[in-house]
Amino acid sequence: MSLLEIKNLSVEFGSEKNPFRAVEGLDLSVNQGEIVGIVGESGSGKSVTMMAMMGLLEGQGRIVADTLQFDGKNLLTISARERRKIVGKDIAMIFQDPMTSLNPSYTVGYQIMEVLKIHQGLRGAALKQRALELMEMVEIPAAASRLNAYPHQLSGGMSQRVVIAMAIACNPKLLIADEPTTALDVTIQAQIMDLLVNLQKSQNMALIMITHDLAVVAEVAHKVAVMYAGQVAEMAKVPGIFRTPTHPYTEALLKSIPEHSKGAHRLSTLPGIVPGQYDRPSGCLLSPRCPYVQDKCKAQRPGLTAIDGGVVRCHYPITAKEA
Amino acid sequence: MSTVLQARDLTRYYDVAQGFLKPSAQVKALNGVSFELQAGKTLAVVGESGCGKSTLARQLTLIEPPTSGSLLLDGQDAAKASKAELKAMRTKVQMVFQNPYASLNPRQKIGTQLGEPLDINTSLSASEREERVRAMMTRVGLRPEHYYRYPHMFSGGQRQRIAIARAMMLNPKIVVADEPTSALDVSIQAQVLNLFMDLQEEFNTAYVFISHNLAVVEHVADDLMVMYLGRAVEVGAKEKIYSRPLHPYTQALLSATPSIHPEDRRVKIKIHGELPSPLNPPSGCTFHKRCPFANERCQQEVPELRALDERMVACHHAENINS
Repeated sequence: MSLLEIKNLSVEFGSEKNPFRAVEGLDLSVNQGEIVGIVGESGSGKSVTMMAMMGLLEGQGRIVADTLQFDGKNLLTISARERRKIVGKDIAMIFQDPMTSLNPSYTVGYQIMEVLKIHQGLRGAALKQRALELMEMVEIPAAASRLNAYPHQLSGGMSQRVVIAMAIACNPKLLIADEPTTALDVTIQAQIMDLLVNLQKSQNMALIMITHDLAVVAEVAHKVAVMYAGQVAEMAKVPGIFRTPTHPYTEALLKSIPEHSKGAHRLSTLPGIVPGQYDRPSGCLLSPRCPYVQDKCKAQRPGLTAIDGGVVRCHYPITAKEA
Repeated sequence: MSTVLQARDLTRYYDVAQGFLKPSAQVKALNGVSFELQAGKTLAVVGESGCGKSTLARQLTLIEPPTSGSLLLDGQDAAKASKAELKAMRTKVQMVFQNPYASLNPRQKIGTQLGEPLDINTSLSASEREERVRAMMTRVGLRPEHYYRYPHMFSGGQRQRIAIARAMMLNPKIVVADEPTSALDVSIQAQVLNLFMDLQEEFNTAYVFISHNLAVVEHVADDLMVMYLGRAVEVGAKEKIYSRPLHPYTQALLSATPSIHPEDRRVKIKIHGELPSPLNPPSGCTFHKRCPFANERCQQEVPELRALDERMVACHHAENINS
């Protein structure tokens, strides 16, 4: 039994008559202690999926799913009160911009302690002790004096460490990191990634990494889901997915990063852009941009088919073509 | 091969108010940077935030005069030029900014914005200007009907194309691009990078390409300058530096860059801590606090750039640590 089980999740925004499907028919399962990467371009539905699961879209989007289960609890039917007990405690999330996820009017110590007060009922010296411990766990130098610092007094990397300290305060079973290093410099990014992976191992958490940087997930993740326009295009194990991608979109993404075409003068590109709300094609969503497009792709939307160690959403997956 | 840009010992200091009744402090944002750029070549400037990359861009585009040092643009000294001469010099060097959303005027049509440089700097008639604008739009991959559209009607990648077209309108000798693709998705980034390469081939433009993405830099650059806290720490041909970085900071930067394929990954060199404040830089070598090889000499003596193994490097121990 996996820790997180999502089956056929769809999220719709806008009016009932003319809805926009940000996420469509998404399946995802995450086991304890597993690192799963979700990659895709802007607007592919990576963040919306996670926000739907956390219940952060209340009143904005309509969420439909066959199963949305975390640790044996059905997240679709539980009350708001019960959800609050899980979110922030068993599931925690780290956002892209650490500066906007901290409250500028309170010290970082207060903000870490707030989590501990609410979820673990700690008070007094024990509370402060635990906050200090957490600051040390995320390798903040001079932690004791930093407890009284305000967010504006910390650098981007330090703020991200504080956010991570808050997220792991209650030993979550699942940590969701939404582009945790995009706003940071390269050397700081490496430090934060190291920290996240070490924490994941020592706490035996499951970690979902949402990112658009394929190289970051290639180095740490066990399994990767590639999303395109609200759907999972391909999900497979690392490093297989990077060695022999089966979906044309995965292949195109890999080819478009400079690392792939070393020495070449031009990079290979996928023409066009991700379809928006009004111009989604009727067939396969990638069909207008796909280099291998066939008549069937324009007429019929492909479903997910199982391949070696994963799933792919394509009528003509790449390996099958070559065989 | 002609030298279009020559910087000698460029420095730029800023005065920063420390508060009422306190003496103002000096930030040495750029501390003696020298380089040469040939027509049709690309110099990449890499470094973390706060290393002086953007200050350098402001000097090169003649937005600000340097505190000391000289800048020769196409053989002409910017410090000795009259106002009228400066105006003419500014048309030779153009800039592309990081965020295409912020660098276009939301209230002007694309055709007007692209025509503006011609309107100000040339005596072409309105119909001639339109003709030149339309030709450039086709060149960068925009459609004729885009002439009458506003910036909000475009995607991020298209907006960056518009910004590039605007920079190329006066056929400049040099284009300074400050993180031109970091706000874009991977597949769009590849399209924009290709456009940069094609335009360079066609117009023989020299680029100063500022970026923190070493994978992108490896693709576009001919020469590389690595900066740390206002100083160049390693300057040389791209192939030399990528195949065998000599400065510990360059080594750390390269090893911190994640890569897709395990065989491309470098041995991780961990550097601790963050960029020190430029208000109060460390004595001696500014990198010594984070450097794994630092000793007493590094704390006292500022290393000068010196030639070693076909490039310039500023490190006391470059020979010892690389043998």
